[in-house]
Amino acid sequence: MNKSILLARMNLRRARGQGAAIVVLMLLAAMMLNLWLILATDYRQNFDRCHDRLNAEHVTLSVDGDSRELRELLTRTMEEDSRTESFLLDDAMHMVGNFEYNGGDVNSWFVFVEKEAALSREVGRAEIVEDGGFDSGIYMPMLYKSENIDVGKTVKVSIGSNEVEYTVCGFYNSVMTGSHNCAMMEMILTEDKYQELKEAGYAVRSTLCSVRLQDKDEGSAYEGMLKNTVSSRYPQANMASNTYELVAQSRYISQMICAGILSAMSFIILLIVLVVTASNIVNYIQENMKSLGALKAVGYTSSQLIRSLLLQFLGLSLTAAGVGAGLSYSLFPGINGMMIAQTGIPYQSHFLPLPFLLTLSVSGAGVGLTVWLSSRRIRKIEPIVALRQGLSTHNFRRNPVPLEGTGAPLQLALALKTTLTGIKHNVTICITMLVLSLVVVFSGLMIRNVIMDMTPFLNMIAGEVADSCINVNRETEEAFLREMNADERVEKIYLYSSEEIRHVGGSGLMATMSEDFSMANNQGVVFEGRFPKYENEIAVAAKYARENNLRPGNEIMVTANGKEAAYIISGFTQITNNLGKDCLLTRAGYERLGEMQTASYYLNLAEGIDIDDFNEEVKERFGNAVNMVINVDSTIQGAASVYISLMAVLVGAVLVLSVVVIAFVLYLLVRTMLTNKKRDYGILKALGYTTGQLILQTALTFMPTITISTAVGVVGCCLIINPLVALFLSSIGIVKCTFSVPVGLIAAEAVCLIFFAFCIACLLSLKIRKIAPRALLIS
Amino acid sequence: MEQILLKTENLSKSFSSGGVLQHVLKNIDLELYQGDFTVIMGASGAGKSTLLYALSGMDTPSLGKITFGDKVISDYSQDELAVFRREHCGFVFQQIYLLEGMSVMDNVLAAGLLVNQDKKALLEKARALFDAVGISGETQKKFPAQISGGEAQRAGIVRALINRPEILFADEPTGALNSQTGLDVLDTLTAFHEQGQSVVMVTHDMRSARRGNRILYLKDGVILGECGLGKYRHGDRARHEKLAAFLSEMGW
Repeated sequence: MNKSILLARMNLRRARGQGAAIVVLMLLAAMMLNLWLILATDYRQNFDRCHDRLNAEHVTLSVDGDSRELRELLTRTMEEDSRTESFLLDDAMHMVGNFEYNGGDVNSWFVFVEKEAALSREVGRAEIVEDGGFDSGIYMPMLYKSENIDVGKTVKVSIGSNEVEYTVCGFYNSVMTGSHNCAMMEMILTEDKYQELKEAGYAVRSTLCSVRLQDKDEGSAYEGMLKNTVSSRYPQANMASNTYELVAQSRYISQMICAGILSAMSFIILLIVLVVTASNIVNYIQENMKSLGALKAVGYTSSQLIRSLLLQFLGLSLTAAGVGAGLSYSLFPGINGMMIAQTGIPYQSHFLPLPFLLTLSVSGAGVGLTVWLSSRRIRKIEPIVALRQGLSTHNFRRNPVPLEGTGAPLQLALALKTTLTGIKHNVTICITMLVLSLVVVFSGLMIRNVIMDMTPFLNMIAGEVADSCINVNRETEEAFLREMNADERVEKIYLYSSEEIRHVGGSGLMATMSEDFSMANNQGVVFEGRFPKYENEIAVAAKYARENNLRPGNEIMVTANGKEAAYIISGFTQITNNLGKDCLLTRAGYERLGEMQTASYYLNLAEGIDIDDFNEEVKERFGNAVNMVINVDSTIQGAASVYISLMAVLVGAVLVLSVVVIAFVLYLLVRTMLTNKKRDYGILKALGYTTGQLILQTALTFMPTITISTAVGVVGCCLIINPLVALFLSSIGIVKCTFSVPVGLIAAEAVCLIFFAFCIACLLSLKIRKIAPRALLIS
Repeated sequence: MEQILLKTENLSKSFSSGGVLQHVLKNIDLELYQGDFTVIMGASGAGKSTLLYALSGMDTPSLGKITFGDKVISDYSQDELAVFRREHCGFVFQQIYLLEGMSVMDNVLAAGLLVNQDKKALLEKARALFDAVGISGETQKKFPAQISGGEAQRAGIVRALINRPEILFADEPTGALNSQTGLDVLDTLTAFHEQGQSVVMVTHDMRSARRGNRILYLKDGVILGECGLGKYRHGDRARHEKLAAFLSEMGW
């Protein structure tokens, strides 16, 4: 073993540059691997820890009314259900509403609760995370702390069609109701403000029901049971609810996206490290054939020589992986800062031994296996043959690009000769560029479909996007429609209203109704089959269909308002709202189950019309008949800004990483080439080639492989990127991704990458300046 | 009046070795004439090769001046020297130094295309030179490792001459060859010299030195003596004896 250590140390000293490059690449791979593991394990578990600490509920239900009968019904239902562990009923008020945040609006179902009650609940307790000590005002979810929403500032909250101003007293954390992603959002008021709101009657008195279950996976079924029970007794009661499963997933979508990208990048870079390591070892064996023969001749065994390489590369990579994993903790606060804008749940970063050990194990195992596989050739080296023949680097069977026959310029022809004889270099470059092409295409796709314009992303996951959404009472619907159709500012108006229904034998579903789905802006939401057209048709979310083994043409029974009806599945949607428990019905189809309580209309306004002014005017014109107006565009801006900034950071990071990766891979290859061809460079200089010509020649050597593999990679990735993104997002119900592939942008990125690679290769080749023809002659 | 090709004034070259400055060439004043076959002789370490590298622009002097025609090449940058080498010099090395990854013909064209872009004319010239040194078309397609040392050195001479250099520099051109192939190479060089090619050759082999018409003897970095031999004729005994006497006088 001592001899192997000695050899390993000697090799390390000899190849410091290559060692440094592998260290940097491994460091990057390990950094991302560790970040991914932190996000995928402990960061996600933080939700459960917070849930347990606050003894949070698994099902939350906010239902109209606070009568004794309602509460007795709820109490009896929950007590009789064996799945119930504990529950709590509280006074509350609820109403749809919104407030300005992050340049847009946050629209949610607000549940107003009194501060002391909220903080002392045994089930579903909220915790104050920042308190300004004000006696009167509102405590907002900590997620929304921002420049305009801060302690001591005033926040305007729209409650139904009314607006109230509150002083922000502080911020709170609640696992199940602390974000707009939770289907409902708690607004904690000081006692005086709570009483004021109660007296004003802007919000409906309600009962907040928080239930802890024996088995948290039963949440969805339990929620359905509870809502069915209430709606069968109180068919007109408005309800908002959520479950552990829904909240846990919806609050961690950005974490999932970030973790996915980090894992992909870490494995891509790890793959490049392994390819580079293998290439290095094969090169080392070729270059040192005589030395290896000599070592064997003096008694070193093949195992000792292989062990020395294992020690050398494992030592480097494990050290780099350890440092990289350590460095990931310095990056984590930044990532946590981005994530928390969506999760809204505080996370305290701390050292995690398991991700650290996994990072070391994966890195070590990968490198160890690669070294072992690529160094097996040492076993075949016979000392005498190696000493006699030394290194054989050229294949004499062919002379690529003969100068007498080629029409290429001299420098390019000489570069091509080297390119076509350097198979190992080509393989390394090829793999590197192919995987980096994926990064280029992915980043182009995200820039076009998320960062520059989020509509395609929203169309894919959210369903429908319009300028404005106005919810009106059924009695006013006709007059409202007549006026809107006559209004020149309105380009299009169509019903797009949601009600809850239940699939008999399945789960509760959010049903969206329209008179005519061909009016909808997003015609791509149904990816298989078609929109429901007749009253006996239904389109269901693909995720739900997959989970319940449903096919187009199947007939399912649906119930609501105490009625039941059969529907034929006309198609699948990939709406991910409500965890994919979603469906589309025609209005006539829904009315087989009962009347809609209210009607929501989506409006497209003419260019240049101020949406807020328009909404305000409609509110004034129709008064109490309008239950709610939403500036959809602004709401999307507010919600999307988190994703856009997250995606911008991730895209920026992966592009920078790609640049770093290509720089280090080229560093390794150019350095190896300069070492291997030092004699040739000396001869060429002696013949009269200038340093500039040789630098150009060296850089051009890499360009055919870089250009071809990038082109092939980019074209290939453009073809598979949509199915790949769909696969990546399949867990949230995406089956088909129809992002537009920005060919121009991607081509520009690819050209930039190729040009960058050329510049880097030129820069790295500057060392040729130091190769003097005289050194060749005296060697 | 012989035309001066290269001229040195106070040419000195020093190297630092282990912190100690070693003066390899000391204030050499020298003129090289067109059409001469100049042979530089001397014992190992006398500075023969260092002088050759300095004269050919492969290396820069520490002090002094080297003039080629009216150009002071000792002031040239590395890239200017490279252009000077490709346009005015040809090189034949002891270790031959053909590019291993290229065929024999490509080795020649890689040097030729640097100066002459007319590929057709260049190919004709290369083939003529190959014919002159006795390298067949088949051998031209082979790689250096596939041909004999003598063939490789003759290919090296073709490469050195492809750009019609004003001076052909040869550093121990027979040093790595056996006796017979060494003679073949010398015959080739002599033949080109007889056609008017100026040659400067470094050697420590008297048999090779006989080919020159002007012998310079270098010792401890200075030119100790010079001997004019006249035109080479095979089997010219008097000429051989004159060279032997000169070398003996120089302490050879």
